[in-house]
Amino acid sequence: MEIYLLIGLPVIMGTGVFLFRLHERTQKTILVATAMVHCFMTMSLWFRPCGILFNTFMGIDAPSQLVLTVVSVLFCIISVYMCGSLTNERMHAHSVCVGSLLFFLAAMTLVTFSRHMGLLWIAIEATTLLSVPLINYYHSTESIEATWKYLLISSLGIAMALLGTFFLAIATSQVTTIFLDDILLNAQLLSVPWLKLSIIFLVVGYGTKMGLAPMHTWKPDVYGEAPPPIGALLAGVLTSCAFLAFFRIAQICMHAHIGDIFSPVFILMGILSIAIAAIFIMGQKDFSRLLGYSSIEHMGIIVLGLGLGGQAVWASFYHVINNSFVKGLIFLAAGNVYRIYKTKKVADIQGSIHSLPVSSVFLLVGFIAVTGFPPFGIFYSEILIFKQALVTHHYVVAFLYFLFLTVIFFGFSRILLQMVFGEAPESVMPPVKENMFFVLPLVLITVILFVIGIILPSSLSQIIAQSSLLLGGN
Amino acid sequence: MFLEFLLISIILFAVVILGSSRLGTIIWYFVMQSLVLSITPLIVSFGLHAFIMTTAMIVLKVFLMPGLLFWMIRHTAIRREVEPLIGYGKTLILGGVLVMIAFLISAKLDVPVKQISELLVPSAFSLVMIGFLLMVSRLKAITQVIGYLIMENGIFLFSLLLLEKTPLLVEMGILLDIFVGVLVMGIIVNHIDQAFGTTNTMNLTNLRG
Repeated sequence: MEIYLLIGLPVIMGTGVFLFRLHERTQKTILVATAMVHCFMTMSLWFRPCGILFNTFMGIDAPSQLVLTVVSVLFCIISVYMCGSLTNERMHAHSVCVGSLLFFLAAMTLVTFSRHMGLLWIAIEATTLLSVPLINYYHSTESIEATWKYLLISSLGIAMALLGTFFLAIATSQVTTIFLDDILLNAQLLSVPWLKLSIIFLVVGYGTKMGLAPMHTWKPDVYGEAPPPIGALLAGVLTSCAFLAFFRIAQICMHAHIGDIFSPVFILMGILSIAIAAIFIMGQKDFSRLLGYSSIEHMGIIVLGLGLGGQAVWASFYHVINNSFVKGLIFLAAGNVYRIYKTKKVADIQGSIHSLPVSSVFLLVGFIAVTGFPPFGIFYSEILIFKQALVTHHYVVAFLYFLFLTVIFFGFSRILLQMVFGEAPESVMPPVKENMFFVLPLVLITVILFVIGIILPSSLSQIIAQSSLLLGGN
Repeated sequence: MFLEFLLISIILFAVVILGSSRLGTIIWYFVMQSLVLSITPLIVSFGLHAFIMTTAMIVLKVFLMPGLLFWMIRHTAIRREVEPLIGYGKTLILGGVLVMIAFLISAKLDVPVKQISELLVPSAFSLVMIGFLLMVSRLKAITQVIGYLIMENGIFLFSLLLLEKTPLLVEMGILLDIFVGVLVMGIIVNHIDQAFGTTNTMNLTNLRG
């Protein structure tokens, strides 16, 4: 019942926003109210044991509950931020933006609930299409270019995933359905050559959506041109959904006992993504593009963890949660800076600590968290993955991983410290009074990051353990 | 026998599209290809499921999508492809090579489901690859959209193997998603035209590094 409500509510509200010419203020209220109700309903799922019925289209298991919570909480926080930015910026609330946002939320919820590979594909494709109007918000030549690249590359990727889904259906000819539970239960009946072909296509397809190298080329463009809160949504929320699709593939691989063939592929893709991010972060001139490459890096780390197996699977899940919130924090804080400086170029933003003390502090917190420093969770998951690489005797992988992370830290710190502490230009701006709407979300995310990183509530760690058990981790 | 004839004509339409330069003609060929394609479910397995698929295909791919494409070229006042990235002769030869590769690959794969026709898998592979070739070798945004649609036609051909298996709901969702995808692409093509004064994707090169 909750499942239908969680999907239905944003759909109904979104339709309402599309159909009726509502006042700006009403639209914003609807957005925030829907996001909050969605968030509360998601939270209520934590207090009720929920199982999955066999061969139903939708159900909740541990990983989907985890990803759903991340999606719902972060969406709620970002919607509060948007309430502020929709008034101050050129971003005047119009129905297309708010409507698409609500439908986007519904589509992502559907991704987390899908227990059928066809339905999963539909939901992922829907998230792609619904994010297009959001990315193309400014209608400038650059944003149109980014949108076209995004549409073309994602559509190609998603077409590959569809082909992969059909191959999977051919491979499961003896099982006769492509319900996830059915496949997992009867994994030994699958036809192995078709299954391998299908996994390759699915990995390429959903990997494109996740932004793994070498299918990552849309990511810096899109993150660079989308408005900052939308960037936060894409980097924090949408990637987690794509990760869930990726996780399902890994699950099928493991149950069909072809995990040994695909874990090197995952490791290679992970290392390649981190390497590409390291190369391009070094001389980056645009801060949003830098965040795009940072997102590629973290997706690489997550997939690397899945490939290494064992404890690293636990670390991957933990990394997904932390990465989402960190990306949300850093995008929103950067958005505050862009709004005052009216540029995203690193060279033009200098000494922001003088003009925007509060947001700059949060930008620094985000930087410390994203590059993997204690007490934040990313430190812990990165160390765990490093350890797992050593334990499983992947010494070259461990070396490259460590090397690239160091390079990324170096490149990132050089750019960010210059932005925050650099010599302010002559026309130094007086400290701006910062709006509550723009600061409150940052505070909330920081608190969440501290809680996850230092305390790690037992219910959360339990559900992470349950999720990683599905992939044979511990 | 009749099914083989249809499959061959579907591949032929795709090859002809590779060799044409006028956008209007390309869309008409696409309409004919989709029309032939939408009859195939009825031949493979006659029944309610196949009938619904055929109707949905005709509505979407023969009427709505081509209508949208024609609206796009009228709205943006482009009639023909200018100097493709790879010349027409070369793309035709490449297309031929791709069809050959498709047959080679499918000879290696052994289909565990009920065989409908020897030609079904190779022609599906051919369509996917020709669509891909069209997407990468042409500069006009509209031709790239048509390339995507041809790819989708190829994937649809694959789904014929599974006609009795995939729930109708899922198939309908897939078709709807593809339609909305093309709709969104159409809107963006229109934006490209307004912002750059042309739908030539060669101009989309500002974002680098």
